[in-house]
Amino acid sequence: MIGAQRLPVPRTRFTELSLLFWVAALAITGFVAVVAAETSSFGPAAIAVPVVFLVLMLALHLFLVARRFHGDQVLMPIAAGLTAIGLVLVQRLASDLVLQQLSWAIIAAGAFAATILIPKDLTALARFKWTWALLGLLLLVAPLMPVIGREINGARIWIKVGPASIEPWEAVKLLLVVFFAAYLEEYREVLSRSPRRIGPLPIPPVPYLVPIVAMWAIAMVVMILEKDVGATALFFGIFLAMLFLATGEAFYALIGLALLLLGGFAAYQLFGHVHVRVDTWLRPFAEDLRFDAGYQMVQGLYALANGGLLGAGLGNGMPERIPVVWSDFVFAAFAEETGLAGALALLALYLLFLYRGMQIAVRAPTTFLQLLAAGLAFIVALQTLVIVGGNARLIPLTGITLPFVAYGGSSLVTNWMLVGLLLRVSEVSNRMRGGP
Amino acid sequence: MSGVGTNIRALTLTLAAMFLVASVGVSYWTVFASDALANDPFNPRLIALTKDRPRGAIVDRNGAVIASSDKTADGFARSYKDRSLAQVTGYASVQFGLAGIEKAYAESLIGQDAADPVSVWKARYLGERAPAGAVVLTIDEKIQKAAADALGSRRGAIVALDPRTGAILASVSVPTYDPNQVADPARAQGAMDQLNKAQDHPLLNRATQGQYPPGSTFKVVTAAAALESGFDATKKLRVDDPYQPDKSWGDYFVRSASHAHGLFDMSDGFRLSENIYFAQVGLQIGGAKLAEYAKRFGVGAAPKVELPASGGQLSESGSLDKPTLVADTAYGQGELLVSPLQMALIYAAIANNGVMPTPHYGAEVRDADGRVVRQIAPGPGGQVISPNTAHALTTMLVGAVEGPGAFAFGGKVPGVHVAGKTGTAENRPGEAPHGWFIGFAPAEAPTVVVAVIVENAPDGGVTAAPLGAQVMRAALGK
Repeated sequence: MIGAQRLPVPRTRFTELSLLFWVAALAITGFVAVVAAETSSFGPAAIAVPVVFLVLMLALHLFLVARRFHGDQVLMPIAAGLTAIGLVLVQRLASDLVLQQLSWAIIAAGAFAATILIPKDLTALARFKWTWALLGLLLLVAPLMPVIGREINGARIWIKVGPASIEPWEAVKLLLVVFFAAYLEEYREVLSRSPRRIGPLPIPPVPYLVPIVAMWAIAMVVMILEKDVGATALFFGIFLAMLFLATGEAFYALIGLALLLLGGFAAYQLFGHVHVRVDTWLRPFAEDLRFDAGYQMVQGLYALANGGLLGAGLGNGMPERIPVVWSDFVFAAFAEETGLAGALALLALYLLFLYRGMQIAVRAPTTFLQLLAAGLAFIVALQTLVIVGGNARLIPLTGITLPFVAYGGSSLVTNWMLVGLLLRVSEVSNRMRGGP
Repeated sequence: MSGVGTNIRALTLTLAAMFLVASVGVSYWTVFASDALANDPFNPRLIALTKDRPRGAIVDRNGAVIASSDKTADGFARSYKDRSLAQVTGYASVQFGLAGIEKAYAESLIGQDAADPVSVWKARYLGERAPAGAVVLTIDEKIQKAAADALGSRRGAIVALDPRTGAILASVSVPTYDPNQVADPARAQGAMDQLNKAQDHPLLNRATQGQYPPGSTFKVVTAAAALESGFDATKKLRVDDPYQPDKSWGDYFVRSASHAHGLFDMSDGFRLSENIYFAQVGLQIGGAKLAEYAKRFGVGAAPKVELPASGGQLSESGSLDKPTLVADTAYGQGELLVSPLQMALIYAAIANNGVMPTPHYGAEVRDADGRVVRQIAPGPGGQVISPNTAHALTTMLVGAVEGPGAFAFGGKVPGVHVAGKTGTAENRPGEAPHGWFIGFAPAEAPTVVVAVIVENAPDGGVTAAPLGAQVMRAALGK
């Protein structure tokens, strides 16, 4: 054992650099394949986009090396690989949006770099937990405000800032995880050392649980006003997962799931748009739905079915038949052109991300950092499961985006900030333990 | 209290298990459900294949082209030659999928008929698609044209078939539509919106899906049930308009179209289409017997045919439990509903010694070299009535067309004996009745059955009978 002696910090991040070569191979072959299949879309952008993106990723890598950053070396290349797949798919499915998506990738890289620099001390985040909660709430209600709020595709979850529409919800989920991590760290002992039980049911000490439940309830109400069921489910999922992580009470999670199902059933009865979502999930092929509300779902399933084992080949399928394919059905589009093999490889990347993120969480030195890292990794995994499950008709389809891959700026920027935070957590433990 | 690390591991495991479930779900759609969805008639990929490659032609029994894929600047476009066959051929549309024969023979038209497993195998695993052959229909262009001309722009349907084989020789449904518009990607959406909004349902194939009260054409079923239950056809029954068997019917009466008073036997009943005669026959044999024969003749069950078909109904409840309903059903009213194809099949059974044929639109599937891949001959359905009953009914039906004062005189064809029956089907109150004629010829050895319905025809069956004669003339070459 080396004990207290500090390890020399390696100058290079060799693992990260070599994994970025894999990302380069992915991005270049992907673009070449797509552009070769669709000669009509060939233009300077087709060459410039992967090159600019790879230079950007290399710059991030060099930035981390220059900072003598000591954190994880795997997550950034995974995120880069997923973002590269996203750019290839945007080029394939909506080539006129590819420059926009590249610009968002540049902003996302900037946001990632910023998270590496600020704040200097991660635990400082915990001190301002009520600020985060308040900021989260403000962002959550922002789309309901008259001037800045925007309703797009039936969901009022957008605000207009300058020329761009952004989804504040994406930032809210990060704030939420930070708040929950800080709050639960403080009260987890009281919450889980419940004096009274009815059968297996622990009765939580009411005064401590109230703020959390209240925040959850407000969020629910707001989300219902904003007509976005997917985000509500995700929001609730984060809440339940963090509660479980802090207390170890699976029963809270089960009760929560029951509440979610109950709420879902009520929404199904009360709201037309929820009713339609569930109907198209249960019977998309029904005569009255297949050309109407179920059209998107049915076209998505055709795309999956055309994938087979090895796929139609990039650029050779017909995923463009799916309405809004670049945001809701990127997974189905990817599966059509790369087959079950490609789809499973993509899922494996997310699983790897989850595993790596959770490993960082387990190794983190304080409960706050543990809860923070686990919550962040959980977001990526849950979003992936919800949208892939929706595409494969395992659960009703929601507007949740496939992290890093689906077209959309707000989501890309927050997901890269999420990676930055995970790297920061891993750096703290590495510095304290003198690990790799 | 368990450590946070333990909780993290538990959550990670749970999520990993959910990833496994998601993977299984994705495998199901990409691999296991792949074949079924790939051949789903609405899958745009199935039709997109034919943009770059010609889709097989649809031709009539003599090879005359009904639908073909023509070379255009950007691939192949489907074109349909005969609007009167729109509901039969259907369409192949990238937006709206397949309908009609295009749907029923979807695999055959892309060179993957199930009877040709090598081509199917090659297409599926090697991506090599055999050039598409053709689907030959039983339709005869000449008879089809006669039927379309006969009906003209009147709403209704005509179906002609060969009673010996069930081959459908002509199938017209008015109003019709232009399948070329639905098949053209540029015009499809507009055309479909308009078709779906149209009050008179041009997409509906009235020949197989229309639901009409059969009126007097149904009396053959009552007569068949009576003859096979030992009822004496020569026995004269007293007819006095209006009729009710006893006072318990209150103010409910069966009425005679000709306000008849006199003695009728079964031949008179057919010739003069006397409702009161058949109402009495129905009441004598009873509702159960009548229901049994209606079922034998296929009322309430959709005929097995390649296109969407409806089965109609004997009554709302499915049985004949009230005497008034028995009496009304016996002369073709009550709550009865049938399609023109079903009526054609009932008369085909009478024409074919009591054996009902299985109807079909397809004759054979050929490959690109013209070799027959598959012959379509579904064979006879079942013995519905005895040959003797069939012959007795045929004789009376000849009388109904050719006898003195016969209602269905308009169905006559010079040089052959025609067996047939008109019907004037009462509709909703305030609407003109539907006119029916169903006939077959030559009566001694029938080769063609024609069913005609003209919606809201002021003169009912009298309007329909000459149209049937025109079609029979074309079929018999007279």
